[in-house]
Order: sequence, then C-alpha cells, then structure tokens
Amino acid sequence: MQCNEFELVLTDAIDGVLTGTGLDRFQAHARVCKACGPLFAEAEAGRNWLKGLTEVEPPASLVNNILVSTTGVDTQRLRVTARAPQPRISWWEHVQASLIESLLEPIWATVRQPRFAMSFGMAFFALSVGLTVAGVKPNDLKQVSLRPSAIRHTYYATQARVVHYYENVRIVYEVESRVREIKRNVAPAEPSRKESRPAKPKDDKNDTTQQPEQKQERNYSQTDNHLILASAPVGPSPSVFDWSNVDPSNPDLPVVSVTTYRRFV
Amino acid sequence: MEDVQVVAMLVRRCIAGDSAAWEEIVQTYNRRIYNICYRFAGSGDDAQDLTQEVFIKMYRTLPSYDHTKGAFVTWVTTITRNLLVDHFRKSKQDRMTDSMDTSASDHEDAQPLSEQIPDQSAPPDAHVRSREVGETVHAALAKLSPELREAVILRDLQDMDYREIASVLKVPEGTVKSRINRGRAELARLLQRTYRQVM
Repeated sequence: MQCNEFELVLTDAIDGVLTGTGLDRFQAHARVCKACGPLFAEAEAGRNWLKGLTEVEPPASLVNNILVSTTGVDTQRLRVTARAPQPRISWWEHVQASLIESLLEPIWATVRQPRFAMSFGMAFFALSVGLTVAGVKPNDLKQVSLRPSAIRHTYYATQARVVHYYENVRIVYEVESRVREIKRNVAPAEPSRKESRPAKPKDDKNDTTQQPEQKQERNYSQTDNHLILASAPVGPSPSVFDWSNVDPSNPDLPVVSVTTYRRFV
Repeated sequence: MEDVQVVAMLVRRCIAGDSAAWEEIVQTYNRRIYNICYRFAGSGDDAQDLTQEVFIKMYRTLPSYDHTKGAFVTWVTTITRNLLVDHFRKSKQDRMTDSMDTSASDHEDAQPLSEQIPDQSAPPDAHVRSREVGETVHAALAKLSPELREAVILRDLQDMDYREIASVLKVPEGTVKSRINRGRAELARLLQRTYRQVM
C-alpha cells in the first residue's frame, strides 16, 4: 500500500468500515511507514477528542430573536400575553384611558418642557403689566356683576361711550361735515319733484316746537340766486297793524296770504 | 434523518406565508446551526449573531430551495458555512499564527489556553474536569485553519457523511477526507503540545 492510498482509506479505517484484506494492508503500512503510522494515531486521537465534545445549549432567547428579526412577530410576548388573564375594564375606563393617552399625555409632555414654562412666565408677566397700565385692579374685578342684565347694560354703555368718543373725534367730524356739503350740492334737483306732489298735512306728533319745517327754506335761503316775491292785500302793513281793532271775542288773527315764486337756477 | 416530503411541505407552507411553519423550522434547526457557528466562531455571542443571520438569509432565500437537488439540512448547512466563511474573511482572523497564550473565546472567561489545561493530578470533580477538557478541545479547534475546522466540525460534530460535506464545501470527496484527516491530526498535535507544556 502506498502512502496516498493509505490516506484515502484512513477515514474508512477510523470509521470502522474498512474490513478484510484492505484493513490488513492498511495496518501493515501503518506499522512500517514513519509518516503514516503517526498520522493514523493522531487522526484517531483527534477524532476521539472531538467526539468527546458535547453539544452546547443555545440561549433561550435565540428562537424568539430569530422570529422577531425574520417575521417581526414576538411569539414569546404573544404567548405571555395570551397566558396572562386580562383584567376586565368598562368602556368608560377604556375611553378615559384612551383620552388620557391621546390628548392629555402630549399636552402634559409639552407643559413639562422648560421652554413652555418660560413662555408661560413671560405671558403672565406681560398680562400683569398690561393690566397695571390699563388701571385694572384685582379688587375691581370682585365688584363686577356677572348677571345677564348687568352684562347687557355694560355692553350698551360701553358701546355708547365708544360711539360718542368716535363722533367727537375732530377728523371724523370734519369728514362728516364735508360729506353733508357734498350731498347738499348734489341734491337740488329733488325739491321740484317734492313740490309737484300735493302737500300732505303733516301730523308729526313728535314735533313739539309747533313751528313749520324750515329745512327746505333754510336750504334755499343759503343761495342768493333764489328770487322770492310776496304779495299782500291793500291795507295796513303788518308792521303797523292796529291791534286795538281786534275783536276780543274773535281772537282770530287777520289772514295774510303770501305767494312765493321760486326760481331755480 | 429528515423526511424529505415533510420538510418540502413545511417549506411550501413557509413560502405561502405560514408563520407557524417557519417557527417550526426555526425550532428544528436553531440548535444545529448554533452549534456549528459556536464551534467555528469560538464565541457564544458571535454564534448567536451568526445564527440569526443564517436564519434571516434562509428566510429570504427559502423560495430558492429545491428539494430535488438535495436535502434541506444540506442546504441549511451550506448557507451556514458560506456565512461563516464570509464572517471569517471579514474578521481577518488567522488563528493558525496565534500563540497558545491568547484568549480563545468568551466561554473560557478570557483565560489563556495554557491556563485552561485541566489539572490531572487532583481533579476536583469529574464533571468539572470533563467541562474543562471540552473547553480545551474547543479552544484547540479554534486554532485550526478554517478549511480543516469546517471539515472536522461537519464530520465529527454534525455527523454528516462525506458526500454531503463535499456538497456543502463544494470540493471532491477525496479532498474532504484529506481535510478531515489533517484536521484531526492537527488537533491532536495541538492538544498533545498543550498537555506536554503543563506536564
């Protein structure tokens, strides 16, 4: 047997599958060859050492880690969750828990931040300074009535005060007077139409002055272009009217008819 | 031995999205793959990481498995071996040149190999001694070259036949046998040298 042939059957000899004449030739070569003899001994010893090694136990979390890293399913946690009895909670507690988790938790997390506390402090400082400048005192707030009627009264009083203040502002007053003037200049065509209509006896109950309305007269008198002609019956002039001839039983004053002719330019 | 039909059915269920089938595969093969990784890498932590990587790769490439081309265990072992070789190349570990005083693994509490030699004169306990011998052999196994180490691991620790090993390592059966013989002999020489130093 040659050395290369010896090496080929060496594994079979160690495994115990080499029998008969092959085994005899193998053993004979091992006895005489200085290289193959020790090789056989060492290979057999090495195999025995390796066979003495026991299988190691993998970590307990290995399977779970593999499943989490492959399928993403934590089976161990699922098993524990399935095994553990679930406490019964009412729907109200469930709603409360979900509300607290979804709404209050983020708000509380924000409030706990130092920057929010700083902002809150600055806002409070600004508010207190503003109230002090405005003259608002905390003691005044105690006397504020919160009845609806009182609130309504306060609202109207405040509104009236604001309107009064606004109308007394100089520029507003001037603008309003200019607007009135422009209206007067634009309006003159209207009175002719008014005159064509029959004069309706005006029964203005609100008029306590008992004076004829002189609004139109005032407008016309403001221009010099209007010619007013009046005619009176022959007799004493009103300025020299003899009041002694007046019958006391008939207190009616003498009627003076005045005809006016208006010419519009 | 695995039943080819049962495993093929399990793989088909897995590919169809049955997570229970995948869990069954993981439960069946995790111990074997962990042991190969542990004996090859020498470290428990590395073995755990490598085992996870093997299963992730297996999960992704499961549809490529063809049961007519070979046994599922051979396919799994091939994936494991390829990943171990990649890991070895990345870590650039050349254990052949390491001295016997370097730390072998985390499982030996970072003690040098010469300090892990069992005290044969006064063994405190047979179990402890057996464990220490096992750790010594494990440390010596880590000293072998990767080619010899993977061959002896697959043959002597995983009990694979030569044809399967040849399929996994993609080398002829004669080469497999030669590597196994040289690996065993090298291991014995390392252990003899260790005991001689102690004696």
